[in-house]
Amino acid sequence: MFNKEIEKILPLVQKPARYTGGELNSILKDKTKVKLRYAFCFPDSYEIGMSHLGIKILYDCANARDDVWCERVFAPWHDMEALMRERNLPLYALESGDPIKDFDLIGFTLMYELCYTNVLNMLDLAGLPVRAADRTALTPIVVGGGACACNAEPMAQFFDMFCLGEGEEVFDEVFDLLERAKAEGWSKAAFLKMAAQIEGIYVPSLYDVRYNDDGTVAAITPHDGAPEKIKKLVISDFDHVRYPDKFIVPFIEVVHDRVTHEIMRGCIRGCRFCQAGFLYRPIREKSPDTINDQCRRLCDVTGYDEISLSSLSTSDYTQLETLLDKLLEWTIPEKINIALPSLRVDNFSDSLMEKLNKVRRSGLTFAPEAGTQRLRDAINKNVTEEEVLRTSRKAFAGGWTAVKLYFMLGLPTETLDDVAGIADLAQQVVNEFYRNPDKPKGKGVTVSISVASFVPKPFTPFQWEPQDTREMLLEKQAHLLSCIHTKKINASFHKVDISFLEGVFARGDRRLSAVIEYAWAHGCKFDGWDDSFRFDTWMESFAACGVDPLFYTSRRRSFDEVLPWDHLDYGIRKEFLIREAKKAYESKTTPHCRIHCAGCGADRLNGGNCDAHA
Amino acid sequence: MRTLRVFFEKRGNIRYISHLDLMRTMTRAIRRSGIPLWYTEGFNPHPYMTFALPLSLGMESLCESMDIRIEDDTPEADILAALQSAMPQGIEITAVKPPVLDPKFIAFAAFDCVFEDAADPDAFCVKADELLHRDSLIVQKLGKKGHKKVMKDVDLLEHLQSFSLQKEGDALRLRLVLPAGSTTNVNPALLCDELLKLTDGAVYRITRTALYTKDMEPFA
Repeated sequence: MFNKEIEKILPLVQKPARYTGGELNSILKDKTKVKLRYAFCFPDSYEIGMSHLGIKILYDCANARDDVWCERVFAPWHDMEALMRERNLPLYALESGDPIKDFDLIGFTLMYELCYTNVLNMLDLAGLPVRAADRTALTPIVVGGGACACNAEPMAQFFDMFCLGEGEEVFDEVFDLLERAKAEGWSKAAFLKMAAQIEGIYVPSLYDVRYNDDGTVAAITPHDGAPEKIKKLVISDFDHVRYPDKFIVPFIEVVHDRVTHEIMRGCIRGCRFCQAGFLYRPIREKSPDTINDQCRRLCDVTGYDEISLSSLSTSDYTQLETLLDKLLEWTIPEKINIALPSLRVDNFSDSLMEKLNKVRRSGLTFAPEAGTQRLRDAINKNVTEEEVLRTSRKAFAGGWTAVKLYFMLGLPTETLDDVAGIADLAQQVVNEFYRNPDKPKGKGVTVSISVASFVPKPFTPFQWEPQDTREMLLEKQAHLLSCIHTKKINASFHKVDISFLEGVFARGDRRLSAVIEYAWAHGCKFDGWDDSFRFDTWMESFAACGVDPLFYTSRRRSFDEVLPWDHLDYGIRKEFLIREAKKAYESKTTPHCRIHCAGCGADRLNGGNCDAHA
Repeated sequence: MRTLRVFFEKRGNIRYISHLDLMRTMTRAIRRSGIPLWYTEGFNPHPYMTFALPLSLGMESLCESMDIRIEDDTPEADILAALQSAMPQGIEITAVKPPVLDPKFIAFAAFDCVFEDAADPDAFCVKADELLHRDSLIVQKLGKKGHKKVMKDVDLLEHLQSFSLQKEGDALRLRLVLPAGSTTNVNPALLCDELLKLTDGAVYRITRTALYTKDMEPFA
């Protein structure tokens, strides 16, 4: 397996099983019999990475090919990294133990902005130059994908290419092309020029970005035959798309340690702050039979005792009750729990409650997002106070004594009254508990409110909005705390410094590559982890590179400004986003996609098909 | 419902998983095996599973065992086969049979410690032998005083029941028997770490090879 030097350091690190591989259902191949070695990297810890559904799907798709061996790589934790560097041990792939610098393809999932320094760190640990231009050989080709690929401009200098949208099918074409390039001895430039012709593949080095005097983007121009617009890929037949028939079962406990099934892609709601709600359109549902069969098989091969039915809004799945009936038939006798994350308060029915009660009870979480009706209308959450209270009432009557509510601070048009409204709504939920005549004796209620900071993201109606400064957010957090008068409400907040940095990169451009490189070189990594995050180093890095971070966060962009991601086509029309932004200023809602198609344009990616208006 | 003792080996990379991880791994493997497991009848049903003596992280073993409860009278050979087919790499089921002894009677454990990559294997062997023949070897060990964790002095050689030291090529094999179980437990790594100080570059690998009662009867 891996080299003996690794074996020497494993007894010295925490949780050595993060680094050994060998888990059930991991895939081993004969390396002499494959044409391509693919290192699939997740720029965060093993425990986070192994919880990620996308990795499981793409690992399975790539390994379906006999000529490709796809292996996993995670960011080594600080203790392991220090020992690897001290003993000159390069980053290796978990399945084979081979150094990834000799692989043909290195892929990174960019699931959120604060993993960027980890990408650089992993390339460096592998023994590769971090800048794409400094890696001159054909292989390894470094490719990025995932949610952040919709504006990975801050990472453009480090990647050879990005894959936009859903990766299940595009990789076949990339593998074929790379095999050909290797066989025929192409240069890297020749390969990238050809790769840019594959739909969904974005080669940043084939686009020149010019800037205006005020620092905004003047134009993004393709060369060498690269397309003007790169269109995101969508899977059109979602019911029959390849889904893993086995999951790797980690030895150590990971964050989401269970069978996960993606029952629906896209979201009908159109909440204006939610990037995922727009990025993953159009709406596509999987059939209850497909889901039921796949869940059954996955439980059999993993031995997991929990299934999570995941999607952006699980209660909007049209056949949820049919599906639950099918699942409960075998999950109850087999003592398997079903988790439904992402439930909405407005369609949480009595019969759904009853079905959930048949399995082990987990926490109930709802997301009103804002404290007042006016602001909920502005963000198009389409949830009323009465619905929140009615659902809480049902939950309390059903025996729950703890409810978690998600909110955001810093939403566009927000005032201090809206902030106070959060405390008020939580208080009303508490009151609702004590109004229940059958409340369990001797038990109190806990209402946890988790309060995030709003970060404007590309491809949302709020992509032009200024983000609240750290000072404004701290003031709002303090105001919210001052409005809470009971210990039955627990409030927790996101760190404003982290939200600020996330905001810089979310809508950033290529000039930020230098900042990321500087920060990484000065010790920043695992930025998403509170105890690893080094805000001061980041601020020094901005200063050293002459970049003003507030240019990216605090500035209101005009609707006609060229945005750094304007050459990427995620299906959503800009006119639609502008229309939605203007409605937000008037606190006007847009009905969800099943009531009335708002004409976002995403169905064009799927030949005009969208399950919401089927 | 009946109780069965499942004996197994834990070897290779799976030695890097902790006792807690092993329990989770076994729960899942048993579910995959489809054997008719008996579940507790409480509000949150879970399988009955108890391990004789937890193994330290990093050690291999030839003598692990866990007790499980089965609903019906499926033959033990069938249970063994079903369990084996569901095990991850590194776990080998060696026997399934009714338990004879309560794990509380475990008093000693035998270990096989192999040292490799010593800079000068011959010199290392001599020094190791000398150290093992001293009158005492006091090391500090994390122990408990009431509920507080404190460092305690332990004389490793006082606890050492028996040992043999053998040179095999450039490797050094130390076989030893130490107290194990709920009353006194001495981790062989404490002794191995002392030996490691006698040389440069060496690494060791420990395998637990057997468990015994106070009368040196094998645990069954």
